[in-house]
Amino acid sequence: MEAGLINAELVLPTHFSFKRIQIYEKYPKGQPRGRWKHLKQILQAENYQNFPTDEPNYVNIESPPSMHPPLRICDITGFEAPYHDPRTNLRYANTDVFKLVRSLPNEHVQRYLALRNAAVTLK
Amino acid sequence: MPFVSQIKRQTDYNLFSSTTPIVIDNGASNFRIGWAGENDPRVIFRNIVQRPRHKTTGETVSIVGDHDTTLLKYFDCSRSGPRSAFDSNVVYQFEIMEYILDFGFDRLGANGSEIDHPVLITECILNPVQSRSKMAELLFETYGVPSVAFGVDAAFSYKYNQQHGICDKDGLAICPGFTTTHVIPFIDGEPVYKGCSRTNIGGYHVTDYLKQLLSLKYPHHMARFTWEKVEDLKMEHCYIATDYASEARLFQKGTKEAEEKTRCWQLPWVPPPIEEPPSEEEIARKAAIKERQGQRLREMAEAKKSSRINEFENQLRGLEFLLQQLEKVEESEISYFLKDTGYVSRQEIESALAKVTQSLRKVKGEPKGEQAEVEEKTDEKYPLVNIPDNMLTPDQLREKRRQMFLKTTSDGRQRAKQKRVEEDLERERKNQLDEKKRLENPELYLGEMRTKYKELCEKVEQRKRLKTNGNNSNGNGMSGGVGRGERLNAAQRERMRLLTTAAFDRGKGEDNFGAKDEDWQLYKLMSKDNDEDDEGPDEDETELSRVSSRLQEIDPTFVPKPEPGPSQSAADTPRSRPLTKEDFQILLGVERFRCPEILFHPNLVGIDQAGLDEMAGVSMRRLSSKDQVLDERLTNSILMTGGSCLYPGLSERIEAGIRMIRPCGSPIKVVRALDPVLDAWRGASLYADAVQFPQQVFSRMDYFEKGEDWLRRYQFQYTL
Repeated sequence: MEAGLINAELVLPTHFSFKRIQIYEKYPKGQPRGRWKHLKQILQAENYQNFPTDEPNYVNIESPPSMHPPLRICDITGFEAPYHDPRTNLRYANTDVFKLVRSLPNEHVQRYLALRNAAVTLK
Repeated sequence: MPFVSQIKRQTDYNLFSSTTPIVIDNGASNFRIGWAGENDPRVIFRNIVQRPRHKTTGETVSIVGDHDTTLLKYFDCSRSGPRSAFDSNVVYQFEIMEYILDFGFDRLGANGSEIDHPVLITECILNPVQSRSKMAELLFETYGVPSVAFGVDAAFSYKYNQQHGICDKDGLAICPGFTTTHVIPFIDGEPVYKGCSRTNIGGYHVTDYLKQLLSLKYPHHMARFTWEKVEDLKMEHCYIATDYASEARLFQKGTKEAEEKTRCWQLPWVPPPIEEPPSEEEIARKAAIKERQGQRLREMAEAKKSSRINEFENQLRGLEFLLQQLEKVEESEISYFLKDTGYVSRQEIESALAKVTQSLRKVKGEPKGEQAEVEEKTDEKYPLVNIPDNMLTPDQLREKRRQMFLKTTSDGRQRAKQKRVEEDLERERKNQLDEKKRLENPELYLGEMRTKYKELCEKVEQRKRLKTNGNNSNGNGMSGGVGRGERLNAAQRERMRLLTTAAFDRGKGEDNFGAKDEDWQLYKLMSKDNDEDDEGPDEDETELSRVSSRLQEIDPTFVPKPEPGPSQSAADTPRSRPLTKEDFQILLGVERFRCPEILFHPNLVGIDQAGLDEMAGVSMRRLSSKDQVLDERLTNSILMTGGSCLYPGLSERIEAGIRMIRPCGSPIKVVRALDPVLDAWRGASLYADAVQFPQQVFSRMDYFEKGEDWLRRYQFQYTL
């Protein structure tokens, strides 16, 4: 390896003395690495419904949807936006911004909507 | 403040006895590891792993934490992005966790055959037992740790601050972290998990939002907005406004305050080398060279002309001589005589003579009576035209037809020429009138021109808009185009009609459009391409260009409006003029307080949960204690901890938010932890150092004997 020492410190060595089982033994090279369960699957496997519902668990303590009136801001400038464009579904603050909204290429429109999680994704 | 990671290898591992616990704060952003009882963690690094391939050897290596990017150039990082062991605040990828622990222990100086110290590691609140058990297994099996304890980082932070007197034993801990935000009530020093509340928004989402906004606003410089850079920007410039609406209004009006609050980031930019206007001597020299070249060309042309004249004259003389000789010779001997010269008969010689004289005259540059000559030619060329048909032989008839055709075409050409001349004259006259009008009354003229320009602009724009609107809606499929009530013009309506008739099922169940010939005719009518090139540059546009050029000539302040190109104006028009310094400046105005606002309004990024201030209310509601006094005690000591609470203005905002939901006059005190980032580790270290710590840990034996159920119920006791 180049620049000897610097790189050696950068890269994780493969063998550690304090480990009982080394990484290359646990995850042999070439074999597909274990499929790890994502959070959703972990939570499903937990079977929280079998336990009393007033006991707190990971799913219980999530916050409910907000009760406060939602803050509507313009997607592009960030000012307060009382208006809504029916064609592109973006919010805008005034006529100048509206001109900009109508002149955006479709890709940008989708990205702005995706910021708000309002983009229509075709599966 | 830029994040600093400490990854120097520690050398004093062996100085610690095997009862000293190792304290690990396993956070989604950073991994902190150190010894119990100390004030600061020894090793801190970002909790990510990259597995790039080495460019020359090709092997895959692992690199933990974030490193200097210059060192990474030896590796091909394209396939591997930085990966984290976390999915929201829960560890799920234990292979990556193993790499991280390896690195952490290694930098702490671990040697020997196993990690011989008890380990206190932090986890998220109410960690699912699967994650917990896998973590315990990892520590026990692979590292040989004798005993392990799990604790919640926010609780440690609260207890640490409580010990230092910042907050009371009853209170609320608000903990905005990297991926999630928690609110935990504490009663009698212990966290009450029943009243906990978690929203899945954190520093990660804020940075991501800022990154997206900047990329969309400055698409040219998208490559500059890397995750690390944006995070730096966020830490340096973002703040929380006390009232979002009023701040936004400040910026919208463009007040001076707003200007001051706008920060500007200048990207490195090299101005293109300006060409100096050529000096006087340069200009004179260039002009002289051009003169000389012109002179030379003219001389050459002259020489050629004179040589040609000579040639023609020689020819002329020769032919005349020949003619003279011919007269002397008798009839019968003409053919014999002429055999040598290459001409067959006398007429030929005469015609050749005529041609040569003509070209001579042309070369000499004498103006010839062209019209007269053409007319002569016509009469000469078409002798047969005027003779009626029945007197001619078939050959001559054919000849006549050809001559008629030629005559009509040349007539037509002449007529066109006439018309052009007339038009030219007309235009000249109009220009002169215009000039006169202008000279008489410049102001009025200018005003008229300007209004005319505006009207024409409007008309052209409207037509363009109709055209592109119609075409866009037709191009995107008929899904919403017509139904939205768009005013389509006649052509577009026709096209829609054709499309619907064609799409109508002919009843056979098979699509055989295209089998018959007329279908292709229909297709041609429908096709969009035909739509577009039937309108050439129409008169309005030509008029517009004429008027704008006129205005440009006479009015120094007139600036022609740039043609709005189809939907690319924002990106393209700046490129038409040379890039200036301003193009390379990134302005952070509204974004500065818009991005952290999502902590209070997760709806802005589409996450439908309560924001920070509302979460405190939710948490207190969940406690469902009817004790007013307790509630007051809770709000009296609200602690902010966690990496994302470093925004200026956060405490005021939370105070205002909680005041809205509490009855008037109740005491509210919001304090920030001594060091929001490191306090969790410090609190944990304090606990690990305490005498009662060995009671809190569980060992490998315990884990195997008591099983998973017990592990689920295992909770750390936070009161010493």
